[in-house]
Amino acid sequence: MTASAAAVLLAGLAAAALLAERVASVAVLAVLLLLVCLRADSPLRRVYLAGAILPGLTLFLIWPLLGAEGYHVLWSGPQVPVLGTLDVTVEELGGAALNALRLIAVGLAFTAYALLLDHDRLLASASFARRSALAVALATRLVPTLQRDAEGLVEALRGRGVAVEGLAGHARLLSPLVAGSLERAVNLAEAMEARGFGRATVTRAPRPPWRRVDRLGVGTAVALVLAGFLWL
Amino acid sequence: MALAALDRVSFTYASASQPGLTEATVALDPGELVAVLGPSGSGKSTLLRSLAGLVPHFHGGRFSGRATVVGRDTRAARPAELAGDVATVFQDPEDQVVMTVVRNEVAFGLENVATPSGEIWGRVEEALAAVGASRLAARRTTELSGGELQRVCLAAALALRPRLLLLDEPTSQLDPDGAEAFLRTASSLGCAVVLSEQRVARALDFARRVLYLEDGRIVLDAPTAAAREWLLEHRPAYAGAMAVVDSGNAPSDAVVMIENAWFSYGDVSVLDGTSLAVHRGEIVTLEGPNGSGKSTLAKLAAGLLEPQRGLVRRVGRAGYLSQDPGRYLACERVDDEVALGVGGDRDSALAALDRFGLAWAAERHPRDLSSGERERLGIAAVAVGEPDLLVLDEPTRGVDPERKAELAAWIVRYAAAGHAVLIATHDPTFPAHRRISLGGRVTEARVAA
Repeated sequence: MTASAAAVLLAGLAAAALLAERVASVAVLAVLLLLVCLRADSPLRRVYLAGAILPGLTLFLIWPLLGAEGYHVLWSGPQVPVLGTLDVTVEELGGAALNALRLIAVGLAFTAYALLLDHDRLLASASFARRSALAVALATRLVPTLQRDAEGLVEALRGRGVAVEGLAGHARLLSPLVAGSLERAVNLAEAMEARGFGRATVTRAPRPPWRRVDRLGVGTAVALVLAGFLWL
Repeated sequence: MALAALDRVSFTYASASQPGLTEATVALDPGELVAVLGPSGSGKSTLLRSLAGLVPHFHGGRFSGRATVVGRDTRAARPAELAGDVATVFQDPEDQVVMTVVRNEVAFGLENVATPSGEIWGRVEEALAAVGASRLAARRTTELSGGELQRVCLAAALALRPRLLLLDEPTSQLDPDGAEAFLRTASSLGCAVVLSEQRVARALDFARRVLYLEDGRIVLDAPTAAAREWLLEHRPAYAGAMAVVDSGNAPSDAVVMIENAWFSYGDVSVLDGTSLAVHRGEIVTLEGPNGSGKSTLAKLAAGLLEPQRGLVRRVGRAGYLSQDPGRYLACERVDDEVALGVGGDRDSALAALDRFGLAWAAERHPRDLSSGERERLGIAAVAVGEPDLLVLDEPTRGVDPERKAELAAWIVRYAAAGHAVLIATHDPTFPAHRRISLGGRVTEARVAA
């Protein structure tokens, strides 16, 4: 499947999850997306999955305590200033599960996008804005590079016996990371110019033509959005 | 007619007071491989940038003389216009990769120079195969090792089928076998190759001609055989001379003992039951190909990693110098950077800076220093606390032979003063009491002085 068709399908799955009103429907979509994510053979898979699932679980835990709906009380807690009574009802649990699963599904769709799609090809399909697309590609690359630089900096400081702990310790990393990024940016600009970037005439590597599976993917995305809106 | 020529080219960077290149005159013939040698800051990179047109177009500054590349005056032709006929591989692969997937990265330059669309993927495959990286085609560039990225960068340059290939320390992250394969590929292309290298012996094995630069001037331009003789006589460090360890310096009690250590990254096992002891007064080197576990074992010894199985016992304090220390500088002043490791003790910091020839830079910003000076600053920042165990990860990467000889002499003195030193390195000439080879079966060799 081409990157653009896959992106449309992932967007369709995420939109269907947001539109669906039944917990079971959203759960099925979330499981489907989880299975897609598990296909990614990336060392970052665990990090992305944690980032996709943990906020949803947190929402599930907090929602019933802060919500004020339903009559079937399962647990009644103390009165807290500003928040009111901390109680949990069956209806609140249902709402918490629905919204937590929606959040998880959207997070998993983004995880699949980040780990499985060829971003270069996806952005290249925006042929009317090649430079903007390239800027997005470079920004995408910046995140793991910054992460590696931060890890390297922490390791270098620990190697000198300097612990990097707490907010203040990590805040100290900000300035050298920004300075390092600026250095990298200058070096990259030099390399890009040496590789011909900015010439008036360019060509494109041929992109694979859309096949039946791509059209099927986009059709499925549209169907999922409609189903999410009308039936799920 | 020469493929490229510099005629009395001088260049001073906009922020510099001294010229980076002075009256450089050289002509390059098609197909010849020229090694460019010289100390850090001697003008090697500036010479290559002059040939790529990056000097003066990208860097600004004062330029005089004339540079002609494939028949075009670089004052009139911008680097992007020379691209295709000229290709450059820079020192740090992470700073030149643009795309997220390897095959798209190799295609990037081809698209820029308007290669016919139908040819692009074929040339991408051909270039990746030439550097033995076909299996990486679908991988993400962010997930590759430094060595793999360097091969991808070479493939991106080869795909252009350049007439002039400029390589600026392109093998800095490769193990000896990988570096040799890289240079063999580069030398078999049929295009002219200008290679700036700090691994002198290997560069001389492939080059037909040698340029030696100092203070921005070309001091020597000679065929390789004559250059070897000149180097031996005038710059012995470039001919392989190195400090030796004192055999009378008998190692005593162990500072670190690693017993039956296991470590893996995800599913990839790098250490399986490895044992190692380093004693006071001893220098031990860890050698082996990329991915053999040298850095992991060094980090276990320094306490930066814990083994997943096995035991590490350490006596006293360990200090660890990471790869590429010049990139990991945290402070706004050089003296603060060094004082960080000794609780802000400025006197100790100044003494350490003096030992490494950087006292003059105490009040400067660390990032204002040259790359070689930053490397020395990194070592000073670790050594200032005089750790019982000093662990160095690739300390000679990108370091010129004279600085390497100075570093080796300092390490020999440091060990002789009763400290233990563990070095992960690709450099088999670095002085050591014992050399431990990782990768496959762990072997150990005791070195006679």
